[in-house]
Amino acid sequence: MLPYLLRRLVLAAVTIVAITLVTFGILHLPPVDFVTAYAAQAAASGTSISAAEADAMRLAYGLNQPLWVQYWKWLSMVSVGDFGRSFEYGRPVTEVIGDRLWLTVLLSMGAIVITWGLALPIGIYSAVRQYSIGDYVFTFLGFIGLAIPNFLLALIVMYFGFRLFGINVGGLFSPDQQLAPWTWTKVLDLLNHLPVPVLILSLAGTAQLVRIMRANLLDELRRPYVVTARARGLSERRVIMKYPVRAALNPFASTIGYLLPFMVSGSVIISVVLSLPTVGPLLLRSLLSQDMLLASTIILLLGILTVFGTLLSDLLLMWIDPRIRLGQLR
Amino acid sequence: MSAAISEPLVITEAETRVAVATQRQLIWWRFRKHKLAVVSAAIVLAFYVIGVFADSIAYSEPFDTMASRSYIPPQPIHWFDADGRFHPRVYALKGKRDPRTFKLSYAPDPSEPRDVVLFGRGYDYNLFGLLPTDIHLLGVANGRPQDALFLLGTDQLGRDVFSRLVLATQTSLTIGLVGVTLSLVLGVLLGGLSGLYGGWIDVTIQRVIEILRSIPTIPLWMGLAAAVPTSWSPQRVYFAITLIISLIGWTELARVVRGRFLALREEDFITAAELCGASRLRIIFKHMVPSFLSHIIAAVSLALPAMIISETTLSFLGLGLRPPAISWGVLLQDAQNLQTLALAPWLLVVAVPVIVVILAFNFLGDGLRDAADPYG
Amino acid sequence: MITPSLSRRSMLSALAASPAAMAFLRSAIARADDLAASGLVGELQGPTMITDPAKWPTKFAEAPMLAELVKAGKLPPVEQRIPAEPMVWQPLNEVGKYGGTWRRAFTGPADGENGNRIQSSDKPLNWSADGSKIVPGMAKGYLLSDDGKTYTLSLRKGMRWSDGAPFTADDFIFWFEDIYGNPEIVPTPTPEMRPKGKPGRMVKVDETTVRWEFDVPYYLFEEIMAGDTAMGGGQAVRQAAKVSFGAYAPGHYLKQFLPKYSSLEAVNARAKQEGFENWVQMLHFKKDWELNTEVPVLGPWRSVRPINTPIWLLERNPYYYAVDTAGNQLPYFDRVQFTLAENLEIINLRAMAGEYDEQERHIDLAKLPVLLDNQAKGNYKVHLDLGFAGSDFMFHVNQSYTGDAEIRKWLTNADFRRALALGIDRDQLNETFWLGVGTPGSPAPGEIMPQSPGPVWRKKWSVLDIAQANALLDKIGLAKKDGDGYRVRTDNGQRLRLEVIAIAAFLPYPKLSEMVADQWRQIGIQADVREMERGLGFAKQTNNEHQLFVWNNGGTELLYLFPTWAVPVIPGAAFGPKYADWYSSGGTQGMKPDDPNIMKIFDLYTEAAGLKAEGRNHNAQEIWKILVDQQYGIGTVGQSPAGLGVRLVSNRLGNIAARVCNAQHCRTPGNSHPETWYFKS
Repeated sequence: MLPYLLRRLVLAAVTIVAITLVTFGILHLPPVDFVTAYAAQAAASGTSISAAEADAMRLAYGLNQPLWVQYWKWLSMVSVGDFGRSFEYGRPVTEVIGDRLWLTVLLSMGAIVITWGLALPIGIYSAVRQYSIGDYVFTFLGFIGLAIPNFLLALIVMYFGFRLFGINVGGLFSPDQQLAPWTWTKVLDLLNHLPVPVLILSLAGTAQLVRIMRANLLDELRRPYVVTARARGLSERRVIMKYPVRAALNPFASTIGYLLPFMVSGSVIISVVLSLPTVGPLLLRSLLSQDMLLASTIILLLGILTVFGTLLSDLLLMWIDPRIRLGQLR
Repeated sequence: MSAAISEPLVITEAETRVAVATQRQLIWWRFRKHKLAVVSAAIVLAFYVIGVFADSIAYSEPFDTMASRSYIPPQPIHWFDADGRFHPRVYALKGKRDPRTFKLSYAPDPSEPRDVVLFGRGYDYNLFGLLPTDIHLLGVANGRPQDALFLLGTDQLGRDVFSRLVLATQTSLTIGLVGVTLSLVLGVLLGGLSGLYGGWIDVTIQRVIEILRSIPTIPLWMGLAAAVPTSWSPQRVYFAITLIISLIGWTELARVVRGRFLALREEDFITAAELCGASRLRIIFKHMVPSFLSHIIAAVSLALPAMIISETTLSFLGLGLRPPAISWGVLLQDAQNLQTLALAPWLLVVAVPVIVVILAFNFLGDGLRDAADPYG
Repeated sequence: MITPSLSRRSMLSALAASPAAMAFLRSAIARADDLAASGLVGELQGPTMITDPAKWPTKFAEAPMLAELVKAGKLPPVEQRIPAEPMVWQPLNEVGKYGGTWRRAFTGPADGENGNRIQSSDKPLNWSADGSKIVPGMAKGYLLSDDGKTYTLSLRKGMRWSDGAPFTADDFIFWFEDIYGNPEIVPTPTPEMRPKGKPGRMVKVDETTVRWEFDVPYYLFEEIMAGDTAMGGGQAVRQAAKVSFGAYAPGHYLKQFLPKYSSLEAVNARAKQEGFENWVQMLHFKKDWELNTEVPVLGPWRSVRPINTPIWLLERNPYYYAVDTAGNQLPYFDRVQFTLAENLEIINLRAMAGEYDEQERHIDLAKLPVLLDNQAKGNYKVHLDLGFAGSDFMFHVNQSYTGDAEIRKWLTNADFRRALALGIDRDQLNETFWLGVGTPGSPAPGEIMPQSPGPVWRKKWSVLDIAQANALLDKIGLAKKDGDGYRVRTDNGQRLRLEVIAIAAFLPYPKLSEMVADQWRQIGIQADVREMERGLGFAKQTNNEHQLFVWNNGGTELLYLFPTWAVPVIPGAAFGPKYADWYSSGGTQGMKPDDPNIMKIFDLYTEAAGLKAEGRNHNAQEIWKILVDQQYGIGTVGQSPAGLGVRLVSNRLGNIAARVCNAQHCRTPGNSHPETWYFKS
């Protein structure tokens, strides 16, 4: 086990370095740098910056240096854990992301819990009661969430929430609670604002899980060992839950690796529409304003999460399915 | 003794048919059992037919703008006239902007009707891209349809929503197909190789997958969109970028395929085949692939609606198709603001075909998956 | 994809349909009197400046929150905090009451202008309520010598920074010598200090007098010191975001960060300790009022929470230099609270819910009917502040375009441009996107501006005349058309296509361009609208890659202060980036224009800096006449409230003007003096 793990960790490190290179390359594809984006933003806000000021900014941000110099500088900084200061925020990148990270994870975890909580029962029910009315109704409901464009849904919910109920729109806190210290009122305020984004977020993922769960479980239920179990007189419940469900979860192990980066970036659309202080809109803005250090760090973070997610899912796969474990270690 | 033994050993005709039916027939019969899937198949087919005949079904020229037609609510066809005769027509509209509230209002004027006709004249187009014509499914007796027919109302620029919706259907259902196919092929191929052979092939492909998967799509899309020449039309840009993205999008399917392969490799029937001396290729295609074909079908049936969803999402982020291209994403963008919700809610009708098509694809995929399942 | 066809049959039917269509679909397009009927546009008004010392108050009062600090001994009494020569305002309606937090929306650290404009009374000079005359700001006044070579600025005696340190001419000299003079901080000098390339000097005359000395007559400098420029823009905006202009700086505070006053090692060590790369980066942070809550300021408020957090909070400046006629030290508001919303729909929705007390920024004109609907529910009133710039949406035709010789031939052909201008139906654009409140016409500034060439030039070439447009295009050699009715290129017989770069901004430019592209079909021109992301669009434009670039011409109503969107004198100007390079480099870089009209514009512009106001304005008028006649920029609709002009004001506020100056030099809403607004309830 250990040599396998070590080997994977070394490979992970190599992959991450490759990711930094790719990231840097992609971010510098557009012929725009931070100062140009800033000047464009100034023009759009009804003011202008002069050429002299643009020069001063370029010097201050080190944008005049050749690309490979900038890359090397960044890599050296990152390897000692210094992620630099965001151009736009003027604060250390770790602070800017850190401020939002826990809320992002909270939102995503809430969505994941609801998604799985809805999808697994629906998937199992659909597989077991195939072609029944219940199957159709539940899959229909489960899929509705996938079909409705979630940005439109978010806007509609927001608008009618305001029109009909006068509820405070968008964000994760009410304006008066935003600056307040952490009291129970603030926690309640947060909990009041969470349901709408979490629900909209989880709706889309539910359908996918239902479909996969149903497909896998149907596959498993056809297998001879299930027939045997039934013939042996096991209760229907045990027949389904004990082995087929476990085996049906096999493909989930493959996709669990996807969950880690999803936790950080999955809520981008909802967060943009509802103006939630999560990492998604942060990434979007940093890309638009060419805030190199911030964007690079977020993308690097996502990359690292992906790599470790993959490692995790591989380990999980081996743990769940003993056949693979033995095969892998052979 | 027991009832089981006393059953006659006569095989019925129905059972014979099942026993000698080809795989294809079996799949079709299984498919028909899933009613929802059959309906969905019909719906998907209908949408693609609409896509093919888009220009004929649309009646208003989709780029024809006019301020005096701005934000007209859907106008009904009046089917019967005062005498009860079947006489479909639409009424003239008088528009006014209230100087105090700035709201537009349109009042129909029954004294000036225009007859609605089938196969009327409208804008010029090429049927099937070849035959120039100007006959459309609907038209008005005298005058241009875009000045008279507003079945689903108009948008801010005075363009007919129904016609643009139909044309959007054409674009949205086709523009991502090549990319999806490419992703599919690459995913199955590379995932299969990875799972089957293992060893260093597996390791390399896995690492490549990791690197590709960790590239977030949005920055990549932004970077690519920025790098293309200005002279490219929005469709061409989108098409090119979907191709490039599909070179990355195969990773998800590959991982799942690999997982299944790894599991299948240890199955008894594979071992049996190997022991019988079957070649690698035969093992893959005759034995392994059918057993997870259902999974591939499930993946494809999810990929097509995913392509539609990603198109709308990218439009929302300002990255996908842009005007003057007409797609569901572009139309949804028009509706994605407060003034639409408050003043022109009929623009939201664009969400309906999106929802219907995505649901249809999903149920169709369910049905296909069930039907293709060899264990059923 | 459909290519709209302009075959003869459909063209005929299109033209024939117009009267019939109009008969079938009648809609009233708003007229000017409709705008008055709406009740949303009032008279320009503002507080009155009392300049006669005899009428100044002799007893002063302060806000309760400051009175407490005085009692606790933390602050000197108000008489010692206000300069001996304060700014005295007679508020618009009545003397106000202290207290309250002004709630506004902002979109993030890039939205510093939101706060900078509110602080803009920290500029040496400002403008009258109608934006037409220069009036004192934080400086008492100025004097321009007769020969135009000397400019003297008089400061207020006894004025102090927000931390109590004296504000004197030393702060100007400190900026000039230690900041501006240091190439590590300011690598490129500003042309505003170098008339005809000769650098000017700043000299201290006495504690309250600063003098600028130039080698050549530089009458324009009086406008520069009053405008939103590198020299006159004030500390708040001109020392944020790592730029270092503004003409003055808090020397007593910033000295500690400069190597000159300690040593290079000391400042670098301190920088490292505080988490900066080097002392320059530290300095850029320390002098930025948006990020650093400790830096002294002169404006009505100072930051207590920086801009890079979800709430940007400002609190009153206890040493602010202005009082009202009753002697109350301004501002009335205790605090200004900006709440973060990264999405414009959310901002507008919250505005409708009444969550902001005064908001003109980020409010969308297209939502006007919905905003009006919610006035009662949100307890606010909507005001429309019309702008003075001639065009809120115009096509900048790139005169230095080199990407395609055939296209260049047409872009540089005046009749081609005129034909494009004649092919635009401005009334339709006005009705659809401005809800009828704009003024259709050329890009020339509004007639009330002193640099306006006159009402004749509003309509010149800027009306709808399809017949004349087609005739012009036929005449210049584009008479040949392809099967669909579009004109073809003369070099290869293929369809002539124009690329239009449009960026979504406070007006939906891509949609506007789509409508115009549809209208140009009537004259046989195909325009391909390319919507792109803002940074990318500007990068391409400054790089001379654009053919037609869509933007407005904001700021050009004062041509010499903000010429970018009218004449090619600033590098990167959409008019012709290469020509602008040529002009600003003195002929060493870029391309020399071969169009004599452009050379004439250059001559007029260069001469103007050395002319007195009358002469300058005359030159500007001549320039505008050339611009409109040549249609280098094709204007559509302007003088509207689309940008910063839809103002939502809570009914609880007092001293609110019916209409304020909405222009770049007015630093809207700074020029309406938010320091005189207050909460009535």
